[in-house]
Amino acid sequence: MSANPVPGVSPDSLVEIRDLVIGIQRTRKDRLIIVDSANFDIRRAETLGLVGESGSGKTMVCRSLIGTLKRRSASIFAGSIIFDGLDLANLDERQWRPVRGNRIGYVPQSALTGPNPVMTVGKQLGEAVRRNRKRKDKDVRKRGMELLDLVHIRRPEVVYDQYPFQLSGGMRQRVMIAAAIAQDPDIVVADEPTTGLDVTVQAEIMKLLQEIRSEFNMSVVLVSHDLALIDEVCDRLVVMHAGTCVEVGTVPDVASTPLHPYTIALNRSRIDIATPGAPLVTIKGNPPAVGEWPPGCRFAERCDLVQEDCAVGRNPALVEVRPAHWSACLHTELLGGSHG
Amino acid sequence: MTAPTPTTDAESALKESGHGDGPRPQSTGEKILRRTGRAIIVAFWVMVVAFMLIRLSPGDPVTAALGGDAAPETVEALRKTLGLDVDPLTQFWQYFTGLFQGDLGASLISGIPVTEMLRTNLPVTLWLILTTVVMTLVISIPLAMFIALARIPGLPYVFRTLTAIGLALPSFLVALILLYQFGLVWGIAPIFGYDPTFPANMQYLWLPALVNCVVLVPVLSRVLYSSILDTLDEEFVETGVIRGVRSFRFFWFYVLRPSLAPTVVLLSYMMGVMVGSTVILEIIFALPGIGRELVTAVTMRDYPVVQGIILVFGILVVFLSLLGDIVASILDPRVKLT
Ligand SMILES: Nc1ncnc2c1ncn2[C@@H]1O[C@H](COP(=O)(O)OP(=O)(O)OP(=O)(O)O)[C@@H](O)[C@H]1O
Ligand SMILES: [Mg+2]
Repeated sequence: MSANPVPGVSPDSLVEIRDLVIGIQRTRKDRLIIVDSANFDIRRAETLGLVGESGSGKTMVCRSLIGTLKRRSASIFAGSIIFDGLDLANLDERQWRPVRGNRIGYVPQSALTGPNPVMTVGKQLGEAVRRNRKRKDKDVRKRGMELLDLVHIRRPEVVYDQYPFQLSGGMRQRVMIAAAIAQDPDIVVADEPTTGLDVTVQAEIMKLLQEIRSEFNMSVVLVSHDLALIDEVCDRLVVMHAGTCVEVGTVPDVASTPLHPYTIALNRSRIDIATPGAPLVTIKGNPPAVGEWPPGCRFAERCDLVQEDCAVGRNPALVEVRPAHWSACLHTELLGGSHG
Repeated sequence: MTAPTPTTDAESALKESGHGDGPRPQSTGEKILRRTGRAIIVAFWVMVVAFMLIRLSPGDPVTAALGGDAAPETVEALRKTLGLDVDPLTQFWQYFTGLFQGDLGASLISGIPVTEMLRTNLPVTLWLILTTVVMTLVISIPLAMFIALARIPGLPYVFRTLTAIGLALPSFLVALILLYQFGLVWGIAPIFGYDPTFPANMQYLWLPALVNCVVLVPVLSRVLYSSILDTLDEEFVETGVIRGVRSFRFFWFYVLRPSLAPTVVLLSYMMGVMVGSTVILEIIFALPGIGRELVTAVTMRDYPVVQGIILVFGILVVFLSLLGDIVASILDPRVKLT
């Protein structure tokens, strides 16, 4: 079973993340590990969902993909992120430039603070279009309008000269998506891109991301707390818990046969499928805090099926339990009837 | 796109249909006009208070001029020539109507028109304020940027400690120390005198402005420093980095400009407060500004001069804070002029 601990070695893998360890060097000797052993692939033209409770390290993984860990004083301590022959884990600032924003786009989390408040939409789009190259203002504007059109903004010529505070949250997020795809990237990373938007607008933004993904053949990495949403729009998903990937697989596979008790628990706590009137099921306990991870499986303490060997030794690695479906649970055999 | 059906945000549709929207937003021009109107009203009240204060305080210009033991007839005669023989309400009305003809009255002591006095002395004070603002910004901005961006361990701590010390120092003490050190020991600054033409006046103004900086820089650089830290935490900085924005453009549009508004507003407010402390500075540095003039006028109970100068100070304070708000709202569209 442990013959292939590495998920997704597949011809259409665009990015291969292997044993990625991310943390903060607090003092010379003191390291705070926030993510250890992230293992998954991003395939060409897929929408990959990244789910997990707050604090599980999803944002850290996203930042490692766009090279903005250092800004938050975090860094990659080990592992690799292979993207088109480049190891993103080992790029310096100069080497990042042609990748970040060019080949990997980013849609910020908050529509409120994502766009620069002191610059017009057009100016910000212009930056994304120009990328420090000399281009005629007229061409930049034309391309900017084109992008606004792509994200279905009505009256782009008006919006182009407006400031973010003059736009609604949904519009701002559309602008951010427009900027993210300006260079026709291979991947767009969207870290909870609909935070703070109301439900109908959320759905519209998701629809837009889907549309753009299929039109431009991009891969989308979508972080969300919302399992229902992931089920709806993603092809595959990665479940994270306390800094590790605990399950990786296609959405239908994970939905029909979840292979990790954490995934099952997450599914049970979904609001959308809860029986009306019945109390909401929440996951027992809290995820262990960063820096206080217990030995063995970090879900053991909260797991109904915990066995004697769960809470000892190393954090269990992902194993391909079924074809193209990985789990870090040591006792997947116990999960037989408990899914659904 | 296969089916280019233009989608709309529910939100923006709502906005456009006119719901969920407040009253019609005012244009910046309208707002500035309204603020100017308010400023004029404030200036009027400043004038009223100045008029009353000086009359309510003990002593009067006639006794100040003639001494305590002058003959009653002489006193009465002088009262009449000075226009003090009528009741205060009439005096105020005369003063108030005079204002609209650009007449602020004349000094009771020297007979020089107050407007004349302002023409020669006000520029000195204005130059001192301007020099102070420029110097404060020139020191505070790079300092705050450096501390916030350099990420040198321990540096923010040193910065906080030093600025706390700077804050605690009384400015007259700083003025005396600096004057002694720069003026007497090193001899690199003139200890008194003034030259009213532009580049030459800097020679006399840089030291008093520096004294103001000792008070202003600790406050402003700290406010700016924490604004910059807040800004750096914002997601738009990330999006800028990802769009490849670098060097000057990055520091200006993504770091400094979104952080400046609170500092600018505070500076304009502090400068209003500093208008008072220029009085002390003008005396210590023997600068012929209106502050020094004010002190002389108060001791002589020279009503028109005191009123005129306080009116100007009031207008300055109000105007500076208006200017600060306008600049802040231009720098950062999130800041709303109210
Ligand atoms: N600068 C930092 N110093 C210390 N801990 C940090 C720092 N940055 C992040 N962390 C911790 O790292 C953990 C993972 O953070 P991350 O933002 O990646 O979580 P997340 O999965 O994105 O959560 P959320 O769903 O809330 O966005 C959190 O527990 C957070 O407290
Ligand atoms: Mg996050």
